[in-house]
Amino acid sequence: MTAEKNIGVYLCSGCSIGEQLDMSTLEGVAGEMKAPVCKSHEVLCSREGVKLISDDIASGDVNRVVIGACSPRVMTDKFWFDGTHTVRANLREQVVWSHPAGDEDTQAIADDYVRMAITQAQKTDAAEPWIEGEYSETIMVVGGGHVGLTAAREASRAGYPVVLVEKAGELGGSTKDWKKVVPSRPPYREPEDNPVSGLIAKVKGDDRIRVVTGTTVAETSGMPGKFEVELSNGSTESVGAIVVATGWRPYDATKLGHLGYGASPDVVTNFEMEGMLASGGIKRKSDGNAPKTVAFVQCAGQRDPEHLPYCSSVCCAASIKQAMQLIEADPDVMCTILYEELRTPGVTEEFYRSAQEKGVVFIKGNVESVDGSLKVTYHDDLIGDDVPLEGIDMVVLATGMIPNSTNPDGEDMDLEEEKQIYIKDDINPAAPFDVAGYAEGTEAPEACARPAESIPGGSSILNLRYRQGPNIPILADGFSDSHYICFPYETRRTGIYACGPLRRPMDSEEAAKDAAGAAMKAIQVIHGVKAGRAVHPRSGDLSYPKFNLDICTKCRRCTVECPFGSIDEDEETFPQMNPSRCRRCGTCMGACPVRAISFDNYSVEMLTSMAKAVEIPDEFDEKPRVLILACQNDAYPALDMAGIHRHQWSAHVRAIPVRCLGSVSLLCISDALSVGYDGIVLMGCKSGDDYQCHFIKGSALAKERLSKIEETLQSMMLEKERVASMEVSIADSAAVGKMIDDFVANIVDNIGFNPFKGF
Amino acid sequence: MSNGGPSSQTILVVGGGISGVSAAIEAAEAGQEVILLESTATLGGRVAQLNRYFPKLCHPTCGLEINYSRMKKARNLKVYTLTTVENVTGERGNYTVTVKTQPRYVNANCTACGDCAQATEAKVPNPFNYAMDEISAAYLPHEMAFPMRYVVDGSVIGTPEADKIKGACKYDAVDLDEREGSFDVTVGAIVWATGWQPYDPAKLTSYRFDSSPDIITNVEMERMASHDGPTGGKIVRLSDGAEAKKVALVQCAGSRDHNHLPYCSRVCCLASMKHAAYVRERYADANVDIYYIDIRAHDKLDTFYQRIKNDPQVNFVKSKPASIVVNDEGRPCVKGENTLTRELYEEPYDLIVLATGMEPAVGAPPVSLTQDDYGFIVPDEGEEDSGMISCGVASGPLDVSMSVQSATAAALKAIQAVKGAA
Amino acid sequence: MNAPTPTRKYDLGFARWVRDNIDHAERMNMCMQCGVCSGSCPLRNEMDNGPRKTFMMVRAGMKEEVLKSSTLWNCVSCYSCVVRCPREVPVKYILHGLLTYAIEQGYQEAQDTDNYKFASAFWNVAAGSGRVDERVFTAKFYLKYGIGGLISKGMANQKIAMGMIKSGRMPLFAAPHKIKGKGDLKKILAKAAEIEKTKHASLRDGER
Repeated sequence: MTAEKNIGVYLCSGCSIGEQLDMSTLEGVAGEMKAPVCKSHEVLCSREGVKLISDDIASGDVNRVVIGACSPRVMTDKFWFDGTHTVRANLREQVVWSHPAGDEDTQAIADDYVRMAITQAQKTDAAEPWIEGEYSETIMVVGGGHVGLTAAREASRAGYPVVLVEKAGELGGSTKDWKKVVPSRPPYREPEDNPVSGLIAKVKGDDRIRVVTGTTVAETSGMPGKFEVELSNGSTESVGAIVVATGWRPYDATKLGHLGYGASPDVVTNFEMEGMLASGGIKRKSDGNAPKTVAFVQCAGQRDPEHLPYCSSVCCAASIKQAMQLIEADPDVMCTILYEELRTPGVTEEFYRSAQEKGVVFIKGNVESVDGSLKVTYHDDLIGDDVPLEGIDMVVLATGMIPNSTNPDGEDMDLEEEKQIYIKDDINPAAPFDVAGYAEGTEAPEACARPAESIPGGSSILNLRYRQGPNIPILADGFSDSHYICFPYETRRTGIYACGPLRRPMDSEEAAKDAAGAAMKAIQVIHGVKAGRAVHPRSGDLSYPKFNLDICTKCRRCTVECPFGSIDEDEETFPQMNPSRCRRCGTCMGACPVRAISFDNYSVEMLTSMAKAVEIPDEFDEKPRVLILACQNDAYPALDMAGIHRHQWSAHVRAIPVRCLGSVSLLCISDALSVGYDGIVLMGCKSGDDYQCHFIKGSALAKERLSKIEETLQSMMLEKERVASMEVSIADSAAVGKMIDDFVANIVDNIGFNPFKGF
Repeated sequence: MSNGGPSSQTILVVGGGISGVSAAIEAAEAGQEVILLESTATLGGRVAQLNRYFPKLCHPTCGLEINYSRMKKARNLKVYTLTTVENVTGERGNYTVTVKTQPRYVNANCTACGDCAQATEAKVPNPFNYAMDEISAAYLPHEMAFPMRYVVDGSVIGTPEADKIKGACKYDAVDLDEREGSFDVTVGAIVWATGWQPYDPAKLTSYRFDSSPDIITNVEMERMASHDGPTGGKIVRLSDGAEAKKVALVQCAGSRDHNHLPYCSRVCCLASMKHAAYVRERYADANVDIYYIDIRAHDKLDTFYQRIKNDPQVNFVKSKPASIVVNDEGRPCVKGENTLTRELYEEPYDLIVLATGMEPAVGAPPVSLTQDDYGFIVPDEGEEDSGMISCGVASGPLDVSMSVQSATAAALKAIQAVKGAA
Repeated sequence: MNAPTPTRKYDLGFARWVRDNIDHAERMNMCMQCGVCSGSCPLRNEMDNGPRKTFMMVRAGMKEEVLKSSTLWNCVSCYSCVVRCPREVPVKYILHGLLTYAIEQGYQEAQDTDNYKFASAFWNVAAGSGRVDERVFTAKFYLKYGIGGLISKGMANQKIAMGMIKSGRMPLFAAPHKIKGKGDLKKILAKAAEIEKTKHASLRDGER
């Protein structure tokens, strides 16, 4: 680290800052704080302004820069000084644009923000990346079906070596022998040839891909760039990233007795139908005759709380395809498809039309039962009649997909709860309504019934030797999906990417794209970690948590709370960091009761020192001080945007952006209260089952920790209302000001000033 | 290239919506040089104009903020707004692309202080709010604009208003002499992420879109429900500002229709259910009718449908409305046959929202691309692509998550092209 | 050209026969039951089923119900359904095709409707004389309800008749309108009928 911290403070008087604030007072603050250099410029972001700074850096007078100007979210390209630690004080959006001009309270905010920024510069350093030893560029793909083959091939075509591990004795997976797939290319009217056999040939002929069949993963340890994977065949692979493409399996049709499965051999599943179509010559199992009338029953055991609660997406188009294949083989075959909602989204609509042209008949109705004589009982919604469908030769049940998030052939895992990471309420359908809220006076609609869930049976796919358990987190209904709409490859196990129907039910075309997407992320993580850079969402961050084990109490909170399972425990139960698994949210730092964890450029020490840098007026000034610790991604931008709209809020608050509320330690809060803050607000995004935190549980942890602080507050003789968490979304720019004002008013009117002031 | 491999390692991404932004960042974070072109004045595209995403009902700007902060750190990614592709020559690994630029009349000196907007009385229809309201002729495209820079509308150029705008700027950022221009870039691969536009509701003649201000489209509903939209988030009748408590959401307004868009636009059913939630979020006594042919809530999104269906004040009517008429009281009415009860209905509403479909926005591309009958850019057959890759809604009617998926895949395809993969 | 009579629901025999034998019915399969046709129909209230449900009933093999249906008779060829159908199904044409078949097959229920009586009187007069004379036509139409019908309906419409007489729209004493070359008209009609027959015969032979 740089021995001497030569801080240069650069103040901008543009954008009304100079008109609304006294610049010389601000310069005085820099002097007070003993910053060796302090300069003002009327347009700091202009070429001359930037040159002022870069010249000082070049001459060696300054080795860390404090900029008092606009929000840290803007002008990042101009205030970019390669390798020089730069800190921003937000004097524009959150001071002059959101507070009255020429007011002493407004000046006080600006003074404090400069103090806080200089303190931040004093307490932190430019981050030095963690780079150590050898990195592997090999990508391991687990699963050799359509999706895995595609992922392997796509990664290889980008120049990366691949090892493809398949459980079965040969490549191709469960769809290998299928004749046709739903069309992916215009005019989208005819079934297309199954691409799997072609893919197998390409993979086998690819020098960069090594195929290991008849093998499963025995154990995975290490971290991105340095995974060590033990295979069941006894060999060990060093790989940089992992793509999981274990695919799906059909729902157990023996549970569908009410739909005739088992009652007649001529009631078959769509999966079995594929087998028949592949072997050519559709024959009834009962008498060996070719069926002349075939009924397809959609949603068999799907969208059904007794079976699979979700829609498997592909069954409508798959039944259409099978009906077309039957008609192709024998134009006299009569095919009817019984559906509740016909789902051929996107251009697949044309495939539906094509089937109608070929004479496939579609009937809307909920099938109640199919009996041993193949009598199909249902209510025909469109004619308005309860009709039995009789004289059917074969019934095909469109059963759904179950994700292979575990290996169903393996032995069930016996995991203690904290190692399960099974987030069954993750896509709880109730949750969206908690987010948007429902008008007062009405209750949000009831959730639909869902089957009771638990961690799926079978053995772990990767057997991660992680402190947080062997699996990649399994979400509701057993899928290993991302929780985010914008970031489908978000993963809670850095460097490990799920794709295909393991993530969510999808057709083969989408799954192929998904495989390429996952391969992209695998390549990207390897590229990043080699340079010590974080991946999404703090992409490019070079800092990483450093542990001071001398003071560690082995409480294990960091190892338990890390949302990404980055921290293991060594033989002595000390935390053992795996830096390239880390996503730099700072949750470990917030969890640590003894300040043992900090980043080069972010620490508990930094946050408390910044809070303490604020001048706290004494009680007789009747000016409260409230500290806001605001999530950098949502609440802090909302404050900025409130400023852009020139909304005003109380001048008694001081905001510090934090990486994630999860990084806020209770120590920051008790320290701030002890220096006389009258209130503290933790502003973060929506928590709960349907969290919006991109570090998974930041705001949830903040709430949980706050619930524990009550005792501390009581021992300090302080009211618990002084400390609050607020849910502020990025779209709350119009509302956030009032939320702040209400909080401050409550302190002033109802709670009173902090008795610790002045001590 | 037959010998020596690709001559450019740079990837060009055309379109700065969620797909283009995602493709550009994913490639840049894997170390590639990337150029991102956007035709409007800001990145963000259609998702920036959405209030919330289904099914989580979270705000799209949250993800945009993350993507913007990723972009700010990616020094190998260059963004050009107000640019379009005029011409492309060359082949996989070696394209020369002529980029056309439109004037912003505001240069990089702009600090987004807003003095220019204060200086002029001139107003223009606000493109961000689909012209539902007006904005100053010198404007910030929206609060999450990227770059955070103002635009002067071309309509005031040459008028005294333009001089007032220029005169108000303290930073010499207004340049009234900016003109259209062009420049060439050499790239190894091109990702087409040109997105979509809403189908023109005026073409749905039996729905008489212009007959009442209380007939709006689904994209307009998104703006209306947004805190920074034309009504500040209030859901009202545009005719008189009264609270819209009886709302019809008409599916397949253009989609699944041979007279209009033959394909299903995939997102409308789910977006409309989200709109039902917007209305119910506002008013305890509101009633919403959703008219549909089939509810296409695929995969796990079906739980969102099941949930909305449980709301006794949201009613699903299986019927494609035949027409919309304005009754004697001036209320727009939805007319048709309920296909389940076989009854005819003619129901008046405070607000009728047409779920218009998504049309590919690429139009006639400046270079020959493989397009299907609908205008979506489809991949070349086989593994070997031309170095021109499509993603997002430019490639087909996709939702946001699928768009980002395809954008991530497109980034990889582009890397393969610039690396000269066999 | 007799359509097969299905013995059970969703025996596609009837639907296929309709597709192959009824004019324009080849696109009937394309119906996705959206309801736009029935919702657009100005006479939907006069119909028991409406076009949408009729198509579903054809698929369901409900031959009798379809051919007896008032839906076929009440189409006034306004073309709203044809214009609006999102699947380009020529709805009106198919209804007329089914109607023609119902008449051919002598569906008694069909022949009892006002529309049938009106249309057959109209056709009878038009084909016979090449023109439709109001007096002859009304008389023939009313007679279809018997002598009592003739008198009661005649009385009921007295006012209209007087108005027409006054305005010179219906001369009281001139001979009924006729065209020249009635024989040629007969030949034309006979030829048309012949073409119709052979077309259907060839359709049945699978020439499509």
